[in-house]
Amino acid sequence: MATQRGASVEFREVSKRYSDQVAVDRLSFTVPAGKICVLVGPSGSGKTTSLKMVNRLVEPSEGQILIDGTNVLAEEPTTLRRRIGYVIQQVGLFPHQTIAENVATVPRLLRWSGERIDARVTELLTLVGLDPRRYAKRYPAQLSGGERQRVGVARALAAEPPVMLMDEPFGAVDPIVRDRLQQEFLQIQRSQGTTVLFVTHDIDEAIRLGDRVAVMRGGRLVQFSPPAELLAHPANEFVAQFVGSDRGLKRLALLTVGGTELETDVDPARVEPKAPRLEPSMSLRDALARLLTSESELGLVYEDGRFRGALTLRQIGHMIRSDA
Amino acid sequence: MTAGEPLIRWDWIASHGGVFVERGLQHIELTLIGVTVGFIIAFALSLLVLRYRRLEGPVTSITGTLYTIPSLALFALLVPYTGFTVLTAEIGLVSYTLLILIRNIVSGIRGVSPDVHEAAIGMGYTARQLLWRIELPLALAVIVAGIRIATVTTIGLVTVTALIGQGGFGALILSGMLTFFSTEIIAGAVLSVSLAIVADAMLVLLQQRLTPWVGAG
Ligand SMILES: Nc1ncnc2c1ncn2[C@@H]1O[C@H](COP(=O)(O)OP(=O)(O)OP(=O)(O)O)[C@@H](O)[C@H]1O
Ligand SMILES: [Mg+2]
Repeated sequence: MATQRGASVEFREVSKRYSDQVAVDRLSFTVPAGKICVLVGPSGSGKTTSLKMVNRLVEPSEGQILIDGTNVLAEEPTTLRRRIGYVIQQVGLFPHQTIAENVATVPRLLRWSGERIDARVTELLTLVGLDPRRYAKRYPAQLSGGERQRVGVARALAAEPPVMLMDEPFGAVDPIVRDRLQQEFLQIQRSQGTTVLFVTHDIDEAIRLGDRVAVMRGGRLVQFSPPAELLAHPANEFVAQFVGSDRGLKRLALLTVGGTELETDVDPARVEPKAPRLEPSMSLRDALARLLTSESELGLVYEDGRFRGALTLRQIGHMIRSDA
Repeated sequence: MTAGEPLIRWDWIASHGGVFVERGLQHIELTLIGVTVGFIIAFALSLLVLRYRRLEGPVTSITGTLYTIPSLALFALLVPYTGFTVLTAEIGLVSYTLLILIRNIVSGIRGVSPDVHEAAIGMGYTARQLLWRIELPLALAVIVAGIRIATVTTIGLVTVTALIGQGGFGALILSGMLTFFSTEIIAGAVLSVSLAIVADAMLVLLQQRLTPWVGAG
Protein backbone atom coordinates (compact mmCIF):
# COMPACT_ATOMS: atom_id res chain seq x y z
CA MET A 1 0.00 0.00 0.00
CA ALA A 2 1.56 3.21 -1.19
CA THR A 3 -0.32 5.59 1.03
CA GLN A 4 -2.37 4.49 4.01
CA ARG A 5 -4.95 7.22 4.19
CA GLY A 6 -8.10 5.21 4.72
CA ALA A 7 -10.20 5.77 7.82
CA SER A 8 -11.79 3.12 9.99
CA VAL A 9 -15.58 2.86 9.87
CA GLU A 10 -17.48 1.58 12.86
CA PHE A 11 -21.17 0.78 13.16
CA ARG A 12 -22.37 0.74 16.77
CA GLU A 13 -25.80 -0.71 17.36
CA VAL A 14 -27.17 1.14 14.36
CA SER A 15 -30.89 0.79 13.59
CA LYS A 16 -33.16 2.36 11.03
CA ARG A 17 -36.90 2.09 11.46
CA TYR A 18 -39.49 3.26 9.01
CA SER A 19 -43.12 3.63 10.06
CA ASP A 20 -44.04 0.17 8.87
CA GLN A 21 -40.81 -1.78 9.20
CA VAL A 22 -37.28 -2.12 10.50
CA ALA A 23 -34.80 -1.69 7.63
CA VAL A 24 -31.64 -2.09 9.72
CA ASP A 25 -31.62 -3.74 13.13
CA ARG A 26 -28.83 -3.08 15.66
CA LEU A 27 -25.99 -3.39 13.23
CA SER A 28 -22.49 -3.46 14.72
CA PHE A 29 -19.19 -4.06 12.97
CA THR A 30 -15.89 -2.34 12.34
CA VAL A 31 -14.07 -1.99 9.05
CA PRO A 32 -10.35 -1.35 9.68
CA ALA A 33 -8.73 1.49 7.79
CA GLY A 34 -7.77 0.63 4.23
CA LYS A 35 -9.88 -2.54 4.06
CA ILE A 36 -12.80 -3.49 1.86
CA CYS A 37 -15.96 -4.61 3.60
CA VAL A 38 -18.58 -6.13 1.33
CA LEU A 39 -22.22 -6.14 2.44
CA VAL A 40 -24.15 -9.01 0.88
CA GLY A 41 -27.61 -10.31 1.40
CA PRO A 42 -30.91 -10.81 -0.33
CA SER A 43 -32.99 -7.94 -1.66
CA GLY A 44 -34.43 -5.80 1.08
CA SER A 45 -31.95 -6.93 3.73
CA GLY A 46 -30.89 -3.36 4.49
CA LYS A 47 -27.59 -3.05 2.57
CA THR A 48 -28.33 0.21 0.82
CA THR A 49 -29.88 1.71 3.92
CA SER A 50 -26.75 0.85 5.92
CA LEU A 51 -24.53 2.46 3.31
CA LYS A 52 -26.61 5.62 3.10
CA MET A 53 -26.45 6.14 6.82
CA VAL A 54 -22.69 6.57 6.52
CA ASN A 55 -23.00 9.67 4.33
CA ARG A 56 -26.26 10.71 5.96
CA LEU A 57 -28.51 10.31 2.97
CA VAL A 58 -30.47 8.38 5.58
CA GLU A 59 -30.39 9.29 9.26
CA PRO A 60 -30.20 6.38 11.72
CA SER A 61 -33.03 5.97 14.20
CA GLU A 62 -30.57 4.74 16.79
CA GLY A 63 -26.91 4.01 17.27
CA GLN A 64 -23.76 5.63 15.98
CA ILE A 65 -21.54 5.46 12.95
CA LEU A 66 -17.96 6.51 13.59
CA ILE A 67 -15.36 7.40 10.98
CA ASP A 68 -11.94 7.33 12.59
CA GLY A 69 -13.73 7.59 15.91
CA THR A 70 -15.84 10.64 15.03
CA ASN A 71 -19.61 10.38 14.89
CA VAL A 72 -20.82 11.23 11.39
CA LEU A 73 -23.76 13.09 12.93
CA ALA A 74 -21.30 15.59 14.42
CA GLU A 75 -20.36 16.84 10.99
CA GLU A 76 -22.23 19.09 8.58
CA PRO A 77 -23.73 16.73 5.93
CA THR A 78 -22.28 18.45 2.85
CA THR A 79 -18.79 18.63 4.40
CA LEU A 80 -19.03 14.98 5.41
CA ARG A 81 -20.18 13.88 1.95
CA ARG A 82 -17.32 15.65 0.20
CA ARG A 83 -14.93 13.47 2.21
CA ILE A 84 -16.74 10.24 1.30
CA GLY A 85 -16.62 8.80 -2.19
CA TYR A 86 -20.00 7.58 -3.43
CA VAL A 87 -20.73 5.28 -6.35
CA ILE A 88 -24.21 4.00 -7.17
CA GLN A 89 -25.33 1.26 -9.52
CA GLN A 90 -26.94 3.62 -12.02
CA VAL A 91 -23.70 5.63 -11.82
CA GLY A 92 -25.59 8.94 -11.93
CA LEU A 93 -23.10 10.82 -14.09
CA PHE A 94 -24.25 14.35 -14.84
CA PRO A 95 -25.40 14.20 -18.48
CA HIS A 96 -24.79 17.91 -19.11
CA GLN A 97 -21.16 17.83 -18.03
CA THR A 98 -18.19 16.38 -19.84
CA ILE A 99 -16.35 13.40 -18.40
CA ALA A 100 -13.62 15.74 -17.11
CA GLU A 101 -16.20 17.97 -15.43
CA ASN A 102 -17.92 14.97 -13.91
CA VAL A 103 -14.68 13.68 -12.42
CA ALA A 104 -13.88 17.18 -11.13
CA THR A 105 -17.16 17.40 -9.18
CA VAL A 106 -15.91 17.16 -5.60
CA PRO A 107 -12.60 19.01 -6.18
CA ARG A 108 -14.64 21.88 -7.58
CA LEU A 109 -16.98 21.83 -4.60
CA LEU A 110 -13.84 21.98 -2.45
CA ARG A 111 -12.54 24.87 -4.57
CA TRP A 112 -9.29 23.32 -5.66
CA SER A 113 -7.28 25.42 -8.12
CA GLY A 114 -7.88 24.85 -11.83
CA GLU A 115 -4.42 23.38 -12.44
CA ARG A 116 -4.71 20.99 -9.53
CA ILE A 117 -8.11 19.83 -10.78
CA ASP A 118 -6.86 19.32 -14.35
CA ALA A 119 -3.88 17.32 -13.13
CA ARG A 120 -6.06 15.18 -10.89
CA VAL A 121 -8.61 14.51 -13.65
CA THR A 122 -5.88 13.38 -16.04
CA GLU A 123 -4.36 11.17 -13.35
CA LEU A 124 -7.69 9.58 -12.47
CA LEU A 125 -8.86 8.92 -16.01
CA THR A 126 -5.54 7.22 -16.66
CA LEU A 127 -5.90 5.26 -13.43
CA VAL A 128 -9.29 3.85 -14.47
CA GLY A 129 -8.00 3.03 -17.93
CA LEU A 130 -9.61 5.80 -19.98
CA ASP A 131 -7.26 7.81 -22.19
CA PRO A 132 -7.79 11.43 -21.05
CA ARG A 133 -7.14 12.79 -24.52
CA ARG A 134 -9.96 10.69 -25.95
CA TYR A 135 -12.47 10.84 -23.13
CA ALA A 136 -12.09 14.08 -21.17
CA LYS A 137 -14.21 16.19 -23.51
CA ARG A 138 -16.96 13.64 -24.17
CA TYR A 139 -20.39 13.61 -22.62
CA PRO A 140 -21.63 10.59 -20.63
CA ALA A 141 -24.07 9.67 -23.42
CA GLN A 142 -21.04 9.04 -25.65
CA LEU A 143 -19.64 6.28 -23.40
CA SER A 144 -20.41 2.59 -23.03
CA GLY A 145 -21.90 1.24 -19.81
CA GLY A 146 -18.55 -0.10 -18.62
CA GLU A 147 -16.78 3.17 -19.40
CA ARG A 148 -19.40 5.07 -17.44
CA GLN A 149 -18.85 2.81 -14.43
CA ARG A 150 -15.15 3.64 -14.60
CA VAL A 151 -15.92 7.34 -14.68
CA GLY A 152 -18.20 6.83 -11.68
CA VAL A 153 -15.31 5.26 -9.76
CA ALA A 154 -12.90 8.01 -10.88
CA ARG A 155 -15.37 10.68 -9.80
CA ALA A 156 -15.75 9.10 -6.37
CA LEU A 157 -11.96 8.89 -5.93
CA ALA A 158 -11.31 12.45 -7.08
CA ALA A 159 -10.79 14.23 -3.78
CA GLU A 160 -8.84 11.31 -2.28
CA PRO A 161 -11.59 10.34 0.16
CA PRO A 162 -10.57 8.21 3.16
CA VAL A 163 -13.82 6.26 2.76
CA MET A 164 -15.71 5.08 -0.33
CA LEU A 165 -19.29 3.82 -0.44
CA MET A 166 -20.14 1.69 -3.45
CA ASP A 167 -23.67 0.40 -4.01
CA GLU A 168 -23.62 -2.35 -6.65
CA PRO A 169 -21.20 -0.30 -8.74
CA PHE A 170 -20.58 -3.05 -11.27
CA GLY A 171 -24.13 -4.39 -11.39
CA ALA A 172 -25.11 -3.07 -14.79
CA VAL A 173 -22.32 -4.50 -16.94
CA ASP A 174 -21.74 -7.87 -18.54
CA PRO A 175 -19.70 -10.51 -16.68
CA ILE A 176 -16.51 -9.99 -18.70
CA VAL A 177 -16.44 -6.25 -18.18
CA ARG A 178 -17.40 -6.74 -14.53
CA ASP A 179 -14.48 -9.11 -14.09
CA ARG A 180 -12.06 -6.52 -15.50
CA LEU A 181 -13.56 -3.69 -13.46
CA GLN A 182 -13.27 -5.76 -10.27
CA GLN A 183 -9.65 -6.55 -10.96
CA GLU A 184 -8.80 -2.93 -11.71
CA PHE A 185 -10.80 -1.72 -8.75
CA LEU A 186 -8.82 -3.99 -6.42
CA GLN A 187 -5.54 -2.65 -7.77
CA ILE A 188 -6.68 0.95 -7.42
CA GLN A 189 -8.01 0.37 -3.93
CA ARG A 190 -4.75 -1.24 -2.82
CA SER A 191 -2.72 1.61 -4.27
CA GLN A 192 -4.91 4.33 -2.75
CA GLY A 193 -5.45 2.69 0.62
CA THR A 194 -9.09 3.79 0.74
CA THR A 195 -11.50 2.12 3.13
CA VAL A 196 -14.42 0.75 1.11
CA LEU A 197 -17.95 -0.29 1.98
CA PHE A 198 -19.19 -2.23 -1.00
CA VAL A 199 -22.72 -3.53 -1.52
CA THR A 200 -23.51 -6.43 -3.82
CA HIS A 201 -26.04 -9.18 -4.39
CA ASP A 202 -23.35 -11.36 -5.82
CA ILE A 203 -21.59 -13.67 -3.37
CA ASP A 204 -18.75 -14.31 -5.84
CA GLU A 205 -18.06 -10.60 -6.06
CA ALA A 206 -18.14 -10.38 -2.26
CA ILE A 207 -15.62 -13.19 -1.92
CA ARG A 208 -13.36 -11.77 -4.55
CA LEU A 209 -13.27 -8.19 -3.31
CA GLY A 210 -13.88 -8.36 0.41
CA ASP A 211 -11.30 -8.31 3.16
CA ARG A 212 -14.41 -8.74 5.30
CA VAL A 213 -17.81 -9.92 4.20
CA ALA A 214 -20.90 -8.83 6.11
CA VAL A 215 -23.86 -11.09 5.39
CA MET A 216 -27.17 -9.40 6.12
CA ARG A 217 -30.68 -10.72 6.39
CA GLY A 218 -33.80 -8.80 7.35
CA GLY A 219 -31.74 -5.83 8.55
CA ARG A 220 -29.52 -7.93 10.79
CA LEU A 221 -25.91 -8.93 10.52
CA VAL A 222 -25.76 -12.72 10.25
CA GLN A 223 -22.04 -13.14 9.82
CA PHE A 224 -19.02 -10.87 9.61
CA SER A 225 -15.83 -12.62 8.57
CA PRO A 226 -13.03 -12.74 6.04
CA PRO A 227 -14.21 -14.54 2.88
CA ALA A 228 -12.21 -17.74 3.47
CA GLU A 229 -13.71 -18.03 6.91
CA LEU A 230 -17.19 -17.41 5.52
CA LEU A 231 -16.75 -20.27 3.05
CA ALA A 232 -15.12 -22.60 5.54
CA HIS A 233 -17.43 -21.92 8.47
CA PRO A 234 -20.79 -20.46 7.51
CA ALA A 235 -22.44 -19.26 10.72
CA ASN A 236 -25.74 -20.96 9.98
CA GLU A 237 -27.86 -22.69 7.37
CA PHE A 238 -28.88 -19.36 5.80
CA VAL A 239 -25.29 -18.32 5.17
CA ALA A 240 -24.37 -21.79 3.93
CA GLN A 241 -27.19 -21.62 1.40
CA PHE A 242 -26.36 -18.08 0.47
CA VAL A 243 -22.70 -18.85 -0.28
CA GLY A 244 -23.88 -21.89 -2.25
CA SER A 245 -23.27 -25.62 -2.20
CA ASP A 246 -20.15 -25.05 -4.29
CA ARG A 247 -18.52 -23.08 -1.53
CA GLY A 248 -15.67 -25.61 -1.47
CA LEU A 249 -14.92 -24.75 -5.08
CA LYS A 250 -15.26 -21.07 -4.31
CA ARG A 251 -12.63 -21.39 -1.62
CA LEU A 252 -10.19 -22.54 -4.26
CA ALA A 253 -10.30 -19.05 -5.72
CA LEU A 254 -8.92 -17.71 -2.44
CA LEU A 255 -6.09 -20.25 -2.09
CA THR A 256 -2.87 -20.19 -4.07
CA VAL A 257 -0.75 -22.94 -5.51
CA GLY A 258 2.17 -21.62 -3.45
CA GLY A 259 0.16 -21.94 -0.25
CA THR A 260 -0.54 -25.64 -0.85
CA GLU A 261 1.65 -28.54 0.14
CA LEU A 262 3.28 -29.91 -3.00
CA GLU A 263 4.59 -33.38 -3.85
CA THR A 264 8.33 -33.03 -4.10
CA ASP A 265 9.29 -36.62 -4.92
CA VAL A 266 8.36 -36.14 -8.55
CA ASP A 267 10.87 -36.00 -11.33
CA PRO A 268 9.66 -33.37 -13.79
CA ALA A 269 11.57 -35.05 -16.61
CA ARG A 270 9.69 -38.35 -16.11
CA VAL A 271 6.08 -37.13 -16.01
CA GLU A 272 3.88 -37.04 -19.03
CA PRO A 273 4.58 -34.12 -21.35
CA LYS A 274 1.01 -32.88 -21.13
CA ALA A 275 1.37 -31.92 -17.45
CA PRO A 276 0.86 -28.13 -17.35
CA ARG A 277 3.28 -25.69 -15.74
CA LEU A 278 1.86 -23.76 -12.80
CA GLU A 279 3.08 -20.73 -10.87
CA PRO A 280 2.90 -20.35 -7.09
CA SER A 281 0.90 -17.11 -7.39
CA MET A 282 -1.91 -18.84 -9.27
CA SER A 283 -5.18 -19.52 -7.48
CA LEU A 284 -6.07 -23.17 -6.93
CA ARG A 285 -9.20 -22.56 -8.98
CA ASP A 286 -7.17 -21.52 -12.02
CA ALA A 287 -4.78 -24.40 -11.40
CA LEU A 288 -7.69 -26.84 -11.32
CA ALA A 289 -9.00 -25.43 -14.59
CA ARG A 290 -5.57 -25.95 -16.15
CA LEU A 291 -5.37 -29.54 -14.94
CA LEU A 292 -8.85 -30.41 -16.13
CA THR A 293 -8.32 -28.95 -19.59
CA SER A 294 -4.92 -30.62 -19.97
CA GLU A 295 -6.32 -34.02 -18.96
CA SER A 296 -3.33 -34.44 -16.68
CA GLU A 297 -3.48 -35.69 -13.10
CA LEU A 298 -0.81 -33.27 -11.96
CA GLY A 299 0.77 -29.92 -12.71
CA LEU A 300 4.39 -28.87 -12.30
CA VAL A 301 5.02 -25.83 -10.17
CA TYR A 302 7.93 -23.62 -11.11
CA GLU A 303 9.07 -20.51 -9.31
CA ASP A 304 11.49 -18.26 -11.21
CA GLY A 305 12.31 -21.22 -13.45
CA ARG A 306 13.10 -23.54 -10.53
CA PHE A 307 11.04 -26.67 -10.02
CA ARG A 308 9.21 -26.54 -6.66
CA GLY A 309 7.06 -29.67 -6.81
CA ALA A 310 3.89 -31.11 -8.28
CA LEU A 311 0.27 -30.29 -7.55
CA THR A 312 -2.16 -33.19 -7.95
CA LEU A 313 -5.93 -33.37 -8.33
CA ARG A 314 -6.03 -35.33 -5.10
CA GLN A 315 -4.42 -32.48 -3.20
CA ILE A 316 -6.88 -30.01 -4.67
CA GLY A 317 -9.72 -32.27 -3.63
CA HIS A 318 -8.26 -32.37 -0.15
CA MET A 319 -8.19 -28.56 -0.02
CA ILE A 320 -11.85 -28.42 -1.07
CA ARG A 321 -12.84 -30.75 1.73
CA SER A 322 -10.62 -29.38 4.50
CA ASP A 323 -12.51 -27.26 7.05
CA ALA A 324 -15.67 -27.59 5.03
CA MET B 1 -63.14 46.32 -49.32
CA THR B 2 -64.40 48.43 -52.19
CA ALA B 3 -65.20 46.84 -55.54
CA GLY B 4 -62.38 46.79 -58.05
CA GLU B 5 -59.81 47.20 -55.27
CA PRO B 6 -57.17 44.38 -55.41
CA LEU B 7 -56.74 42.14 -52.34
CA ILE B 8 -53.20 43.38 -51.86
CA ARG B 9 -51.90 46.71 -53.02
CA TRP B 10 -48.20 46.16 -53.35
CA ASP B 11 -47.49 49.84 -53.90
CA TRP B 12 -49.01 50.62 -50.49
CA ILE B 13 -46.85 47.95 -48.90
CA ALA B 14 -43.74 49.23 -50.63
CA SER B 15 -44.35 52.76 -49.37
CA HIS B 16 -45.04 51.80 -45.75
CA GLY B 17 -41.75 50.09 -44.74
CA GLY B 18 -41.16 52.66 -42.01
CA VAL B 19 -44.55 52.00 -40.42
CA PHE B 20 -43.96 48.26 -40.42
CA VAL B 21 -40.63 48.69 -38.64
CA GLU B 22 -42.19 50.95 -36.04
CA ARG B 23 -45.10 48.55 -35.45
CA GLY B 24 -42.68 45.63 -35.39
CA LEU B 25 -40.55 47.23 -32.68
CA GLN B 26 -43.65 47.90 -30.59
CA HIS B 27 -44.73 44.32 -31.09
CA ILE B 28 -41.36 42.97 -30.06
CA GLU B 29 -41.18 45.23 -27.03
CA LEU B 30 -44.64 44.21 -25.78
CA THR B 31 -43.76 40.54 -26.30
CA LEU B 32 -40.36 40.76 -24.60
CA ILE B 33 -41.74 42.50 -21.55
CA GLY B 34 -44.62 40.03 -21.31
CA VAL B 35 -42.48 36.91 -21.62
CA THR B 36 -39.67 38.21 -19.39
CA VAL B 37 -41.94 39.33 -16.57
CA GLY B 38 -43.98 36.16 -17.03
CA PHE B 39 -40.83 34.06 -16.77
CA ILE B 40 -39.64 35.78 -13.60
CA ILE B 41 -43.00 35.27 -11.91
CA ALA B 42 -43.31 31.70 -13.21
CA PHE B 43 -39.80 30.87 -12.02
CA ALA B 44 -40.50 32.12 -8.50
CA LEU B 45 -43.82 30.28 -8.37
CA SER B 46 -42.20 27.10 -9.71
CA LEU B 47 -39.58 27.12 -6.96
CA LEU B 48 -42.37 27.52 -4.43
CA VAL B 49 -44.33 24.64 -5.95
CA LEU B 50 -41.22 22.43 -5.97
CA ARG B 51 -40.51 23.32 -2.35
CA TYR B 52 -44.06 23.21 -1.00
CA ARG B 53 -45.97 20.59 -2.88
CA ARG B 54 -49.33 21.62 -1.50
CA LEU B 55 -49.09 24.90 -3.44
CA GLU B 56 -49.17 22.97 -6.69
CA GLY B 57 -52.99 22.59 -6.77
CA PRO B 58 -53.83 26.26 -6.14
CA VAL B 59 -51.09 27.56 -8.47
CA THR B 60 -52.19 25.25 -11.27
CA SER B 61 -55.87 26.09 -10.95
CA ILE B 62 -55.31 29.85 -10.74
CA THR B 63 -52.94 30.02 -13.72
CA GLY B 64 -55.14 27.54 -15.57
CA THR B 65 -58.20 29.73 -15.04
CA LEU B 66 -56.31 32.82 -16.21
CA TYR B 67 -55.34 30.91 -19.31
CA THR B 68 -58.94 30.13 -20.20
CA ILE B 69 -60.29 33.69 -19.96
CA PRO B 70 -60.77 35.00 -23.52
CA SER B 71 -58.17 37.71 -24.11
CA LEU B 72 -60.69 40.25 -25.28
CA ALA B 73 -62.73 39.78 -22.12
CA LEU B 74 -59.64 40.00 -19.90
CA PHE B 75 -58.54 43.30 -21.41
CA ALA B 76 -62.10 44.66 -21.18
CA LEU B 77 -62.26 43.67 -17.50
CA LEU B 78 -58.95 45.37 -16.74
CA VAL B 79 -59.58 48.66 -18.53
CA PRO B 80 -61.80 50.18 -15.78
CA TYR B 81 -58.91 49.72 -13.32
CA THR B 82 -55.76 50.29 -15.33
CA GLY B 83 -57.07 52.15 -18.38
CA PHE B 84 -55.85 51.98 -21.95
CA THR B 85 -52.25 51.49 -20.88
CA VAL B 86 -49.25 49.26 -21.40
CA LEU B 87 -49.89 47.99 -17.90
CA THR B 88 -53.28 46.62 -18.93
CA ALA B 89 -51.73 44.93 -21.94
CA GLU B 90 -48.89 43.41 -19.95
CA ILE B 91 -51.07 42.15 -17.12
CA GLY B 92 -53.00 40.20 -19.72
CA LEU B 93 -49.95 38.99 -21.62
CA VAL B 94 -48.10 37.91 -18.47
CA SER B 95 -51.16 36.04 -17.18
CA TYR B 96 -51.29 33.92 -20.30
CA THR B 97 -47.62 32.86 -20.09
CA LEU B 98 -47.76 31.60 -16.52
CA LEU B 99 -49.48 28.25 -16.98
CA ILE B 100 -47.16 27.02 -19.70
CA LEU B 101 -43.98 28.36 -18.15
CA ILE B 102 -44.69 26.98 -14.68
CA ARG B 103 -45.72 23.63 -16.08
CA ASN B 104 -42.49 23.31 -18.04
CA ILE B 105 -40.15 24.61 -15.34
CA VAL B 106 -41.66 22.28 -12.74
CA SER B 107 -41.79 19.21 -14.96
CA GLY B 108 -38.30 19.95 -16.32
CA ILE B 109 -36.81 19.97 -12.86
CA ARG B 110 -38.86 16.99 -11.70
CA GLY B 111 -37.70 15.16 -14.80
CA VAL B 112 -34.06 15.14 -13.64
CA SER B 113 -33.29 11.47 -13.08
CA PRO B 114 -33.29 10.31 -9.46
CA ASP B 115 -29.81 8.78 -9.89
CA VAL B 116 -28.35 12.10 -10.91
CA HIS B 117 -30.13 13.70 -7.99
CA GLU B 118 -28.86 11.14 -5.52
CA ALA B 119 -25.31 11.24 -6.86
CA ALA B 120 -25.22 15.02 -6.56
CA ILE B 121 -26.52 15.08 -2.99
CA GLY B 122 -24.30 12.15 -2.05
CA MET B 123 -21.21 13.98 -3.26
CA GLY B 124 -21.97 17.04 -1.19
CA TYR B 125 -23.91 19.52 -3.30
CA THR B 126 -25.95 21.98 -1.24
CA ALA B 127 -29.61 22.41 -2.22
CA ARG B 128 -28.78 25.68 -3.97
CA GLN B 129 -25.82 24.21 -5.90
CA LEU B 130 -28.03 21.31 -6.88
CA LEU B 131 -30.64 23.67 -8.31
CA TRP B 132 -28.31 25.96 -10.24
CA ARG B 133 -25.63 23.55 -11.38
CA ILE B 134 -27.58 20.34 -11.96
CA GLU B 135 -31.35 20.69 -12.03
CA LEU B 136 -31.75 23.90 -14.03
CA PRO B 137 -29.16 23.04 -16.70
CA LEU B 138 -30.75 19.62 -17.15
CA ALA B 139 -34.25 21.12 -17.27
CA LEU B 140 -33.16 23.75 -19.77
CA ALA B 141 -34.40 21.97 -22.88
CA VAL B 142 -37.89 21.59 -21.39
CA ILE B 143 -37.86 25.13 -20.02
CA VAL B 144 -36.88 26.63 -23.36
CA ALA B 145 -39.62 24.56 -25.00
CA GLY B 146 -42.05 26.30 -22.63
CA ILE B 147 -40.57 29.70 -23.46
CA ARG B 148 -41.09 28.95 -27.15
CA ILE B 149 -44.79 28.24 -26.70
CA ALA B 150 -45.20 31.25 -24.40
CA THR B 151 -43.43 33.52 -26.89
CA VAL B 152 -45.43 32.39 -29.90
CA THR B 153 -48.68 32.66 -27.94
CA THR B 154 -47.75 36.12 -26.69
CA ILE B 155 -46.87 37.36 -30.19
CA GLY B 156 -50.36 36.32 -31.28
CA LEU B 157 -52.00 37.95 -28.26
CA VAL B 158 -50.13 41.23 -28.72
CA THR B 159 -52.18 41.83 -31.87
CA VAL B 160 -55.26 41.98 -29.62
CA THR B 161 -53.69 44.67 -27.42
CA ALA B 162 -54.11 47.07 -30.35
CA LEU B 163 -57.70 47.29 -29.14
CA ILE B 164 -56.50 49.02 -26.00
CA GLY B 165 -54.29 51.31 -28.01
CA GLN B 166 -50.97 49.50 -27.72
CA GLY B 167 -49.77 49.45 -31.31
CA GLY B 168 -47.87 46.47 -32.68
CA PHE B 169 -48.93 44.69 -35.85
CA GLY B 170 -52.42 44.50 -34.37
CA ALA B 171 -52.76 48.25 -34.97
CA LEU B 172 -52.39 47.58 -38.72
CA ILE B 173 -55.08 44.92 -38.61
CA LEU B 174 -57.38 47.15 -36.60
CA SER B 175 -56.95 50.16 -38.83
CA GLY B 176 -57.41 47.98 -41.91
CA MET B 177 -60.66 46.67 -40.48
CA LEU B 178 -61.96 50.14 -39.65
CA THR B 179 -61.16 51.45 -43.15
CA PHE B 180 -62.09 48.27 -45.06
CA PHE B 181 -58.53 48.13 -46.40
CA SER B 182 -57.57 44.49 -46.90
CA THR B 183 -53.92 45.16 -47.72
CA GLU B 184 -53.27 46.56 -44.26
CA ILE B 185 -55.11 43.68 -42.55
CA ILE B 186 -53.12 41.07 -44.46
CA ALA B 187 -49.85 42.91 -43.89
CA GLY B 188 -50.49 43.02 -40.14
CA ALA B 189 -51.43 39.36 -39.96
CA VAL B 190 -48.56 38.11 -42.12
CA LEU B 191 -46.01 40.18 -40.23
CA SER B 192 -47.30 38.95 -36.89
CA VAL B 193 -47.12 35.31 -38.00
CA SER B 194 -43.66 35.85 -39.49
CA LEU B 195 -42.42 37.37 -36.26
CA ALA B 196 -43.69 34.32 -34.37
CA ILE B 197 -41.94 31.95 -36.78
CA VAL B 198 -38.64 33.85 -36.59
CA ALA B 199 -38.79 34.11 -32.80
CA ASP B 200 -39.46 30.39 -32.51
CA ALA B 201 -36.56 29.51 -34.81
CA MET B 202 -34.23 31.75 -32.83
CA LEU B 203 -35.26 30.07 -29.59
CA VAL B 204 -34.60 26.65 -31.13
CA LEU B 205 -31.09 27.78 -32.04
CA LEU B 206 -30.60 29.23 -28.56
CA GLN B 207 -31.65 25.96 -27.00
CA GLN B 208 -29.21 24.00 -29.14
CA ARG B 209 -26.41 26.37 -28.15
CA LEU B 210 -27.29 26.10 -24.46
CA THR B 211 -27.59 22.30 -24.36
CA PRO B 212 -24.68 20.88 -26.37
CA TRP B 213 -25.00 17.53 -24.59
CA VAL B 214 -28.44 16.86 -26.02
CA GLY B 215 -28.12 14.60 -29.01
CA ALA B 216 -24.47 13.85 -28.24
CA GLY B 217 -23.94 10.14 -28.48
N1 LIG C 1 -37.62 5.37 2.50
C1 LIG C 1 -38.11 4.20 2.90
N2 LIG C 1 -39.32 4.11 3.48
C2 LIG C 1 -39.79 2.93 3.92
N3 LIG C 1 -39.14 1.76 3.81
C3 LIG C 1 -37.93 1.79 3.24
C4 LIG C 1 -37.34 3.00 2.74
N4 LIG C 1 -36.12 2.70 2.24
C5 LIG C 1 -35.97 1.38 2.38
N5 LIG C 1 -37.04 0.83 2.97
C6 LIG C 1 -37.22 -0.61 3.29
O1 LIG C 1 -36.13 -1.03 4.05
C7 LIG C 1 -35.72 -2.34 3.65
C8 LIG C 1 -34.24 -2.34 3.30
O2 LIG C 1 -34.06 -1.61 2.09
P1 LIG C 1 -32.66 -1.50 1.39
O3 LIG C 1 -32.82 -0.59 0.23
O4 LIG C 1 -31.64 -1.10 2.39
O5 LIG C 1 -32.40 -2.98 0.92
P2 LIG C 1 -31.20 -3.60 0.07
O6 LIG C 1 -30.58 -4.63 0.91
O7 LIG C 1 -30.33 -2.51 -0.43
O8 LIG C 1 -31.99 -4.29 -1.13
P3 LIG C 1 -31.57 -4.46 -2.66
O9 LIG C 1 -30.58 -5.56 -2.70
O10 LIG C 1 -32.85 -4.84 -3.31
O11 LIG C 1 -31.03 -3.14 -3.14
C9 LIG C 1 -36.60 -2.73 2.50
O12 LIG C 1 -37.58 -3.61 2.96
C10 LIG C 1 -37.22 -1.45 2.04
O13 LIG C 1 -38.52 -1.64 1.57
MG1 LIG D 1 -29.90 -1.74 -2.42
